[in-house]
Amino acid sequence: MRDARFSLSSFSLLTILVFVCCVAASAQDIASFEKRITVKKLDNGLTLMVVERPEAPVFSFFTHVNAGSSQDPQGEAGLAHMFEHMAFKGTDKIGTKNFAEERKVLEEIEVAYRAYDLERRKESGSDPKKVAELEKTWKDLVAKAQEYVNLNEFGQIIERNGGVGLNAFTSMDETGYFYSMPANDLELWAYLESERFVHPVFREFYKERDVVVEERRMRTDSRPLGRLIEQLQAASYMAHPYRRGTVGFYSEITGVTASDAAAFYKIYYVPSNMTIAVVGDVKASTAMPMLEKYFSQLPKAPAPPELRTVEPPQIGEKRVTLREASQPWYIEAYHRPNYRDPDDAVYDAISDLVANGRTSRLYRALVRDQKIALFAGGQGGFPGNKYPSLYLFYAVPTQGKTPEMLAESIHKEIEKLKTTDVSDEELQMVKTRAKADLIRGLADNEGLAQQLATAQAMYGDWRELFRQVDRIDKVTKGDIRRVAAKTFVPSNRTVGEIENVKPAAPAKGGE
Amino acid sequence: MQRKITSLLSLMLLLLCSLSVFAQDSREKQLEQSKPKLPEFKPQEPKRIQLANGMVVFLQEDHELPIIDGTAKIRGGSREIPAAKAGMMGIYGSAWRTGGTPTKTGDQFDDMLEARAAKVETGGGIDSTNISLSTLKGDFDTVFDTFVDLLKNPEFRQDKVDLAKQQISTGISRRNDEMDSIAGREAAKLGYGAENPYARVPEYWTVAAVSRQDLIDWHKKTVHPNNIILGLVGDFDSKAMEAKLRKTFESWPKGPAIVPAKLEFKPAAPGTYFVEKEDVNQSTIEFVSQGIRRDSPDYYATRVMNEVFGGGFSSRLFSSIRSKQGLAYSVGGGIGASYDHPGLFSLSMGTKSGTTAQAIDALNNEVATLVRDPGSEAEIQKAKENILNSFIFEFDSKEKILGERMTYEFYGYPADFLERFRAGIEKVTPADVAAVVKKYVDGRKFAVLVVGKSADFDSALTKYGKVTPIDITIHEEPPSAGGSAKASGGSDGAAVASGAAATAPTGSNAEGKALMSKVVAAMGGMQKLSAVKAMSQKTAQVRHTPQGDLELETESVAVFPDQLHTVMHTPMGEMSMVVTPQSAFMAGAQGVQDLPPTMRDNAIKDFKREPVYVAQHADDPKYSFTASGTEKVGDKSAAVLEVNADGNPTRWLVDSQTGQILRAKFKTSGQQGPVEREIDYSDYRPAEGLTLPFKRTTKDNGQLAATTEVKEIKLNPVVDLKVFAKP
Repeated sequence: MRDARFSLSSFSLLTILVFVCCVAASAQDIASFEKRITVKKLDNGLTLMVVERPEAPVFSFFTHVNAGSSQDPQGEAGLAHMFEHMAFKGTDKIGTKNFAEERKVLEEIEVAYRAYDLERRKESGSDPKKVAELEKTWKDLVAKAQEYVNLNEFGQIIERNGGVGLNAFTSMDETGYFYSMPANDLELWAYLESERFVHPVFREFYKERDVVVEERRMRTDSRPLGRLIEQLQAASYMAHPYRRGTVGFYSEITGVTASDAAAFYKIYYVPSNMTIAVVGDVKASTAMPMLEKYFSQLPKAPAPPELRTVEPPQIGEKRVTLREASQPWYIEAYHRPNYRDPDDAVYDAISDLVANGRTSRLYRALVRDQKIALFAGGQGGFPGNKYPSLYLFYAVPTQGKTPEMLAESIHKEIEKLKTTDVSDEELQMVKTRAKADLIRGLADNEGLAQQLATAQAMYGDWRELFRQVDRIDKVTKGDIRRVAAKTFVPSNRTVGEIENVKPAAPAKGGE
Repeated sequence: MQRKITSLLSLMLLLLCSLSVFAQDSREKQLEQSKPKLPEFKPQEPKRIQLANGMVVFLQEDHELPIIDGTAKIRGGSREIPAAKAGMMGIYGSAWRTGGTPTKTGDQFDDMLEARAAKVETGGGIDSTNISLSTLKGDFDTVFDTFVDLLKNPEFRQDKVDLAKQQISTGISRRNDEMDSIAGREAAKLGYGAENPYARVPEYWTVAAVSRQDLIDWHKKTVHPNNIILGLVGDFDSKAMEAKLRKTFESWPKGPAIVPAKLEFKPAAPGTYFVEKEDVNQSTIEFVSQGIRRDSPDYYATRVMNEVFGGGFSSRLFSSIRSKQGLAYSVGGGIGASYDHPGLFSLSMGTKSGTTAQAIDALNNEVATLVRDPGSEAEIQKAKENILNSFIFEFDSKEKILGERMTYEFYGYPADFLERFRAGIEKVTPADVAAVVKKYVDGRKFAVLVVGKSADFDSALTKYGKVTPIDITIHEEPPSAGGSAKASGGSDGAAVASGAAATAPTGSNAEGKALMSKVVAAMGGMQKLSAVKAMSQKTAQVRHTPQGDLELETESVAVFPDQLHTVMHTPMGEMSMVVTPQSAFMAGAQGVQDLPPTMRDNAIKDFKREPVYVAQHADDPKYSFTASGTEKVGDKSAAVLEVNADGNPTRWLVDSQTGQILRAKFKTSGQQGPVEREIDYSDYRPAEGLTLPFKRTTKDNGQLAATTEVKEIKLNPVVDLKVFAKP
């Protein structure tokens, strides 16, 4: 059913003519990348990576910030994501008509907002008239500040110079910024990328808050699966920030301030917490000194605090059932250790075995043979990897079939994992696919930049990207039985399901 | 003199200073101006080979990684199959691969391929089908054999055909869960016409209609070398690969060419279209009309216009609606251009339910601004820079080049279309953009689609004129020929003209159904209602006529479903009116007179609109109930329930607390011709186990026409059937 997807690319014709023999044989292993990667940790602690891949005169970059929604302060869920949006609003030089004046108004806005916020939240009862007045003062200032704004100038500079794919994401673990540009824009990019983190300005913050609430409505409130996932996360965790979604709760996103975002930035957007990879038609010998000049401007600062909370063990099964007009879903989540755990590769092997393609256990049982599922899968590392996370099994029933039937079949497959060794062929297949998937993932600048920067940030060494395959190669049949037996037990389980009922139960969303 | 020089110097110094300050302030400009020229880049073109049997092959060597990928695109797709088998391409695309070949089952292929981390996949699309492969270089021969075996000898085993059908049917059952999929689907129907293959979707019965033989026949009809374009990219030697392909395919005889379907594109009439979705707090809004073909001379100017208007960060829509007004997270769109048929012109956004109308206004406003001001010289220049400077990303990898060349080959475009594109964009002037705006952009010509929860809207969509509700009910069976649509069309001309045709019957939505059950419950419940076979009423009426008020008392008896006898006691004497399917007449002192057909028809229609009668049919498929927002009755907010009573549309305003009908509005025929009638119901009281309104106030075209007080209601009275007979 899938269209063919070409996922290959390579060096320019000239390069091929000259280097074909030596490059071609080894582009997929550590040795080849050793020759093409330059990693430099700057004095301020920021890590820069340059990867030479001169296939076409373009480059992509990925800025990895080792702070995500897990770092949202209590009462400010969604703040990391808010900051990500602010990182497109420009600097003290870009996006403003007169920064000296703008800055004054931005400061006044914060004062006015605090006054308004205090009054409207007064526990002893607020004076509606006063609230309205204070709100007006704040909004008038917001309107005044708008007059100094050069709308979206930051993005426009990138676009008029040929930048594409300008975007960013926030996950529970990290925040990533990325786009691609023609090769001759490298210095312009270095200027823009460093400036936005050296001199961020939290302009248009309160408008952007509304935009983010719309994002929440789109992704979470108005989608059945969005609603289910939010509930499942909350039910699975009692203490750890993984219990909250990235986009945050309605009351909190509509409550955070530009000052909150600035405080978050100060703690977490410090150079030692950032890794930037540039991949493409770049020469490390000339590029690195130039990049260093720009990114050294980020002032050295203490490393952010580590997260203290450790999720306590789950001691009883939990369940969330949404009764909705939409069609059923079934998900079950089991707590598992984080990516540093020695068994991390075993979970990867299990995922491949149960969920990858038409030979997978779940496809064959639930889709092909029993015909009770439209699709079924399993996946580790939800909602993140950095902290102990969840292993998910999920399935969507075919018409007339119920989540209970899916649960029963999934549990049978889990029992098999615990009690019966996988076959030699299956285990070999898992290992072969791990190697091939790694190779296929090396085929484009964007993907490479993200994978290498992330591996460097998470492990302190990009080579771990390649070593993951070696770890999967060492997984034994006994490992799979052992890990399944210790993880997939009812007391460690949280079930999330959508039951189809009529008529529609109105969804309240976050509001 | 000395002095002057000094001051000049200081002036110059000052100038220099301010210049350098200026330069520092816009470092990006400095960097933009000083950046090196992008090196000349001639991408590697794939080698094109045409075999004697017509098969076209593209070979693109790429030695970076030890992988080979390939795809064969075969002419003919779902647009070439009848609507009665919509969904067949999905089944074909799935069972082609899973159904195996005579010598190997699909499951055996799965095992063999997955053990090698390889893929061979098949798919069915709108204008083509395809089969693809991806493999590590070392396994190419084995994987290629599977590819060829499946290409030439698919078996379409019945169990896999059944599995594919089950999967597609399940997909149908789930298609209304996500609002984006509803909006995308309905927007395509509005832009292309619901029957157009680019818009139509499978239904349970069209999937059921597909047989294994259909798939076999389709394969025989389409898979001939002269219909195939094959492209390979990866770590191979082109010469050796060419030899292998020639050996494999050259002896394959030619077959008949595919005759492309003749398509009709019938965009919906401009206006507002609405899909009710209960479980959301955001509305999806799409402005839709027809786009253009990519070979249109207007393509380049529209591409620039799109960049100005609805492209990325730089666009007007993003800046105004997202950044400035904070109304949306996602907003954008433009004039779509497809290779061999018109694209969709679509502008879309998502906004919270409570700003739905505000967002529509904002989008309308941007469209109006575009028409007034299609773009300044600077704006057009910037848009062209955006496109031209990022042009390199159209061909920055060998796979992209191959993909583009295959696409141009498939649609008969020149091989250098990409280069022509660049030249075309370079030539675009502000006047060209103004011309395409004038030609294609007109705020009045959009079909405006809204998917959302109307109860939470900031304003009823009726403020934009008539709202056409779209029924997205998933039907188990095809709508029968005798359905409500036909019923209204079958009435005579005058009745149709009075409005029935304009308001095509629509299916219920969940909210409408729920509201209707409330109405039924408020009247006394379905059990009691369905026991009512006849009903008599005594009333005191005041009729407000141009000649003055007229007081009368009436006694009427209605025998469901279609017999009505009314006796009117007026100051001028007694008169009776009878309406039955057999006859319709008035009788009085002056004798007996037949009712004009229009009046008779409208009387029967009005009968079907009577609240009790409608309530009895709450579960009748010929009756539909669509909730669509709220409207005021006096200062009370009431839920709007669009009732379609067997082809007779009526709008009810219902008290959502009590379930009582406060007002009914419909088009009917009065003494002086067609009127918009509005009846207010009040004074609800118990009547023999039901709860019914004892007061009615009737307005015709906004003028008070009658006030009626009910004196007595009897259910299932003893009726003398002779009263219905013509004297």
